[in-house]
Amino acid sequence: MPFKYFGKINYTPYTKVSKFADELQKGKLVGSKCKNCGEKNFPPRADCLKCLSGDFEFIKAKSTGTLVTFTVIHSAPTGFEDMTPYTLGLVDLDGGGRLLSWFENTKDKDIKIGMKVKVVPKIFEEIEEIKLYYALEKK
Amino acid sequence: MKVGVVGVGHGKFGRRSDATVQELAFEAFRAAMEDVKNLERKDIDSVIIGSSPEYHKQRSLPGVITEYIGMNDKPTWLTEAACASSSAALRSGYMAVKSGLHDVVLVLGVQKMTELNTAEIQSLMGRVGDVQWESIYGTTFPGYYALYANKHMDTYGTTGEQLARVAVKSHHYGAQNPYALFQKEITLERAMKSPMVADPLRVFDCCANADGAVALIITNDKLAKKYHDTPVWIDGLGSASAPISVLRRPDMTSIPSAVAAGKEAYKMAKVKPKDIQVADVHDCFTIAEILAYEDLGFAKKGQGGKFIDDKECYIGGKTPVNVDGGLKSKGHPVGATGASQTTEIVKQLRGDCGKRQVKGAEIGLTHNVGGIGQYCFVHVYKR
Amino acid sequence: MELKGKSAIVTGGTRGIGRAVALMLAKEGCNVAINYRKSDKEAKELVREIKAMKRDALAVKADVSNFEDARKMWDKALKKFGRIDILVNNAGINWDGVIWKMSEEQFDTVISTNLKGCFNYNKLAANHFKNQRYGKIVNISSINGIRGKFAQTNYSASKGGEIALTKALAKELGKFNINVNCLCPGMVMTEMAANIPQEFLDKAVDETVLGRIAHPDDVANVVVFLCSDKSRHITGEVIKVDGGQYI
Repeated sequence: MPFKYFGKINYTPYTKVSKFADELQKGKLVGSKCKNCGEKNFPPRADCLKCLSGDFEFIKAKSTGTLVTFTVIHSAPTGFEDMTPYTLGLVDLDGGGRLLSWFENTKDKDIKIGMKVKVVPKIFEEIEEIKLYYALEKK
Repeated sequence: MKVGVVGVGHGKFGRRSDATVQELAFEAFRAAMEDVKNLERKDIDSVIIGSSPEYHKQRSLPGVITEYIGMNDKPTWLTEAACASSSAALRSGYMAVKSGLHDVVLVLGVQKMTELNTAEIQSLMGRVGDVQWESIYGTTFPGYYALYANKHMDTYGTTGEQLARVAVKSHHYGAQNPYALFQKEITLERAMKSPMVADPLRVFDCCANADGAVALIITNDKLAKKYHDTPVWIDGLGSASAPISVLRRPDMTSIPSAVAAGKEAYKMAKVKPKDIQVADVHDCFTIAEILAYEDLGFAKKGQGGKFIDDKECYIGGKTPVNVDGGLKSKGHPVGATGASQTTEIVKQLRGDCGKRQVKGAEIGLTHNVGGIGQYCFVHVYKR
Repeated sequence: MELKGKSAIVTGGTRGIGRAVALMLAKEGCNVAINYRKSDKEAKELVREIKAMKRDALAVKADVSNFEDARKMWDKALKKFGRIDILVNNAGINWDGVIWKMSEEQFDTVISTNLKGCFNYNKLAANHFKNQRYGKIVNISSINGIRGKFAQTNYSASKGGEIALTKALAKELGKFNINVNCLCPGMVMTEMAANIPQEFLDKAVDETVLGRIAHPDDVANVVVFLCSDKSRHITGEVIKVDGGQYI
């Protein structure tokens, strides 16, 4: 599954970590681990900051975390106007790493800094093209 | 050897559908040439352009502008650091003069944003974060700063009202600045009732996109007095970078590059935060100004809201900040903002600001942030 | 065994093609649930045969044209097996007649059982399979859905509809790793076919190039193939199993 299928609008169709999209389509969240020094990253990255090696492998990432901060977007960029307002959340993943995503199936009044959230792999269902993503839900 | 600013030229910021990008640059250049004395074009050794090229249809601006202002065949190139481009250009110019390679350098910050529509600008500006892992979720530039605002409010109790007070101050001083885009005062009520852009930031918490250009002429201390009676010296420079992505900013209540750049500039100029008598900080959003009070040491961490409540950032307070209206009132032509900040501080230190003059100001500071803090340039100026 | 550990639902499973499919799936490793309309005895017998193969089995009396009935059956099967991986939509009737003699009831009943029934079970399957990101749907249509058949305006319409439904559904479910295909048998030696006069059976044999009529297992084998990993790259496809009856 090409990486260009990741996201409502994807600006980076080609990447060394494109297998992330394959795993996401299967419903799995993966990070990376440097084969040389063991350094872990989420989101996955091909090039190790610690030892400069480019030899990495994908490892399973945790799908739960804590909400660091959030905002509700009212004025949207091109391509997202049909979704406003939507709530973006910044999450510290259990086990390390951070991700940014939007909330689904969670009432605004339930969204609070410090709350526990889960990260759910999803596919945009009612369109013909394949678009994969993950969303946040109250745990 | 000291390096000083001897000429400033500020164009009118706004929706400039009346001019091309090079015509805007010429306005600023003309104004700067009128500001100096005894300087001819041939005396200028290089032209450094500060601009964020993605917004223009015209490719490769330095070549176009340098030709249009009649500066062929002097060397020219672009310095880009998103919203801090012209401060980066000033730093480049400083290095050229300090090294002795050039004697006189023209630094030109120029930007046309309004060739694109609002949604396109939101999309482009939003893509200053991590395009691979964040832009797929419709992030916007106000959205990123809103993440900071919510965290600051949650951690320190900063309120939406305090944010709005920053906007009120901006408009109060912008109304007295003939170069500003918005020259009308606003009430607190109006600011707090304005529509949400990215909760908790409302329309009045956000700077407006604008077109504009500003020119600076800098030189060494041997030549400075030849070109202006009151050169303003760039005494301290600090600059730092930070991760582009909020995914790698452990502390979401501070811009790390601003803290580092500020420290470096203070050290070089041998001053402390309390010595700064007038400052122009990067208020792309009201929360950014509050973060700046703290990051630059004007207010203690978490006390940024109190700083505006107590009006310490007004003329007469501890550290007058953005008494030219800031980005909020002037508008934010991304490439020109840094040079605009420098122009204000230079004028303040010359004693040229009329009603908005901070009396007796001798030490000033500019703080120019690129993106959400991946670039920061802090300059300390002395008379 | 191609389908070890999988669970399947087969509609119209007590007789003919459905029965052969149910048994073949069980042989290949599946637990099987079937629905039936009235043949209680045959249903019980089939469950016994499947269980004798050491698989789990369930028979539910349900009217395929009723969505609530279909949903209840689906839930019963899911509860019993813990998961469903395969749907074979086979239940179908015919009620022939030239159009000027065909009553509304004749038309509606055939459409309802064959096409609406297909919709009902395909909808339930889609809902379930997309959450588990895996599934195989095989709709049993007929070559008379590809070509027109005399005195079968209702039957041909329903079978042609099943083919189009299969293709549309394949487009909706592909991204969830679900294959949706259609089988078009020709004449098959089933109980339904046993009622056909000999001359029509002979005519059918003459139509084929292989000179024979299909045994239900000929269809069941292809169903197994379409439910296995071997056909993972086939979806939205229409496969005739007709001995060359309609080329």
